[in-house]
Amino acid sequence: MNAARVVALARKEWREIVRDRIFLSLAFLLPVLLMFVFGYGISMDIENVPLVVVDHDRTPSSRAYADRFAHSEHFDFRGLAETERQGEALLSQASVEVMLVIGPNFERDLLSGREVDVQSFIDGSFPATRVPRALETYVEAIDAVATAEVQSAWLARRAGVGLGAATAVLHPIKLDVRYLYNSELRSIWSVAPTLIMFVLVFVMPMLMALGVVREKETGAIYNVYASTVTRGEFLAGKLAPTVAIGAVNATLLWLIAVFYFGAPFKGSLACFAVGTLLYLICTTSLGLLLSLLVSTQQTALMITSISATIIGFQYSGFFNPVQSLTGSSWVLAHAFPPMYYLDVVEGAFLKGMGFGGLWKDELILAAFGGGYIAVSYALFRKRSRA
Amino acid sequence: MDGSGLRMAARQLVVLIRKELRQLVRDRVLLGFTVYIFSLHIVITTLGASDDLRRAATVVHDDDRSAASRELVQRLRAPYFTVTGEVSDPRDGARALDEGSASVFVDIPEDFSERLGRPDQQASVQLLIDTSKVSLGYLAAAYAGRIADGLGSEIARARLARAGIVEPPPRIESRERTWYNFTLDLRASFSLQTLIMMMSIACVMLPATAAVREKERGTIEQLLVAPVSPLQIMLSKVAAMVMVTLAGTALAVYGVLEPIFGVPMRGGAPLFFLMVALYASALAGLGLVLATLARSSGQVGLLVILTVLPMLFLSGTSTPIEGMPQAEQIAIQMLPLYHFIHISYGIAFRGEGIGTLWPSALAVAGIGSVFFALGLWRFRRQLR
Repeated sequence: MNAARVVALARKEWREIVRDRIFLSLAFLLPVLLMFVFGYGISMDIENVPLVVVDHDRTPSSRAYADRFAHSEHFDFRGLAETERQGEALLSQASVEVMLVIGPNFERDLLSGREVDVQSFIDGSFPATRVPRALETYVEAIDAVATAEVQSAWLARRAGVGLGAATAVLHPIKLDVRYLYNSELRSIWSVAPTLIMFVLVFVMPMLMALGVVREKETGAIYNVYASTVTRGEFLAGKLAPTVAIGAVNATLLWLIAVFYFGAPFKGSLACFAVGTLLYLICTTSLGLLLSLLVSTQQTALMITSISATIIGFQYSGFFNPVQSLTGSSWVLAHAFPPMYYLDVVEGAFLKGMGFGGLWKDELILAAFGGGYIAVSYALFRKRSRA
Repeated sequence: MDGSGLRMAARQLVVLIRKELRQLVRDRVLLGFTVYIFSLHIVITTLGASDDLRRAATVVHDDDRSAASRELVQRLRAPYFTVTGEVSDPRDGARALDEGSASVFVDIPEDFSERLGRPDQQASVQLLIDTSKVSLGYLAAAYAGRIADGLGSEIARARLARAGIVEPPPRIESRERTWYNFTLDLRASFSLQTLIMMMSIACVMLPATAAVREKERGTIEQLLVAPVSPLQIMLSKVAAMVMVTLAGTALAVYGVLEPIFGVPMRGGAPLFFLMVALYASALAGLGLVLATLARSSGQVGLLVILTVLPMLFLSGTSTPIEGMPQAEQIAIQMLPLYHFIHISYGIAFRGEGIGTLWPSALAVAGIGSVFFALGLWRFRRQLR
């Protein structure tokens, strides 16, 4: 590989990018804009789920019970419905997502120490937005607190002891939960760092996607075929300018995550920088590989954008943690670089880790980058097959 | 325009649509990829999808080593937890969380069984949870709490019995039912979500790149000297896209969604396809607007990503819209996907008809018309 020729090729690529002013500005604007839009928009918190209550009892106890939901930050109380049918109509139009039905003997049964049934109906048609399972656990948690208070009061009356003592008798095991790394369960702290991974998986392949196929379409590639430039030099010259743009972008995204969104960065900056550079090489060379495989720019853009969406949405661990995936999806997630970079991002930001804990992930990223480049090298021929 | 002129215009439109379709079909790689994303891709991603806590790797430090502590560890099992190891030093547990080899650490103190044995004491168990993934962290805490409460209430009952209280304490028993998707089969709705995502990208990207290609190659000049109007050129591109989308959706609905994942289509397939056509034409209009803004394929690719990605991930497919800032909520509602999600899930699961869905349908149509007008205006201006 001749360094002078690589530099000459990279300069030619750079000049091409710089001359397309709109493309150049988009190359820097796009990641920053996406970071802000997603940083504000994507929230894993479940808040203000619209809720309607059907209260057949209408007693102080039933109202107090309904108030627990109305005052929870997870639910947004949208009022009382007279009948189940009215509540169901609201559910079917998706204007509420949870309906709570309190039976007619709520207070009487509760005071006489019987088991009281309450029904909750959860809209399960759209689990992707608001995991009904999470909603179920919120409903259960509120019920558990209500039950615990009712029971303690009951036992205190029954056995003539204090409320605290009654609670201790009834709840022998106390779970002391500590949340590590993100102790306030603040979703922006965990979302902002992972957005670096997410935004780059779209931007980098898209910046590179047309690299080779554009020359194929215009015929400029024949200049390369006829020249003394080797395959390796050509690929290196293509990758270098885009990876450089990526490095600037990644720095901007890191600054936004730390200083704008206030995400804590506790780990080693050097380790994070190495991991990020490897990830940039991975994602850029993936775009280059796709560009080599197809013959028109339209196809390149379609395949790259949809592949990036599939990988970013499904196999990166961004929305669905890889630990929850099963079967084919679990395998596929391990076959793409984002989940390893996600480990680096989470490790360096939230867990305060350095090379000691993350070297394995970075080694895998390096292997992916090397692999993509090797496949591109093997696929790129200076003589087109007849 | 008289009758024959209108017939002529219609014939021209048909010719143009056939040209668009032929271009698409001749690109074998693109065609194969399009078929893949509407069929096999939905199967593969949906089969592996899951939103629940699954076998969270749990490390235990048991200082008590009693029957009671072992019983608690026993109950931390599949499907939610799996105990991957015991450590003798609590610091090793914290390290396992750091390294990511475990996501939950349970620390049972020395006096656990002793306190449980007394009639009125509480034993505390420490639970450390990796919450770098917020949703899983919350579920882990909830499920562990449920397990501890289960064991705790058994012990409490025994304590009460010993004190001579035999009747069970009152309790509020909540019975949850999931509406519309009774078995809470994530896969049915996830398959529809995947279809919508694929459709949304293709509907913007294909016409946008096709239009820019004509500019780049100069074939647009040929269309301009041909006796067809800009409106016809635009309509032909949109109509071709709608046809491709309908064919892909039919493949997905009858080949994957209904037979494999049991999406019920309660509101009827004809209405669903009609709404898909409406949505696809609105998006194709957006694609053409973007094409008039770009001069090269590279530019239009980035422009599409810039508009479609936020629409895709913020319209309520992946995260709830209620949590967003006001301005962003308004912006999202100006894009057609937000309304189409309400429509498509309404038809597929909630069994809604046009009687309740018409405001959303009207919104999609209105947004589409704006895109159309904007595209036509820009297109005409560029021709001068």
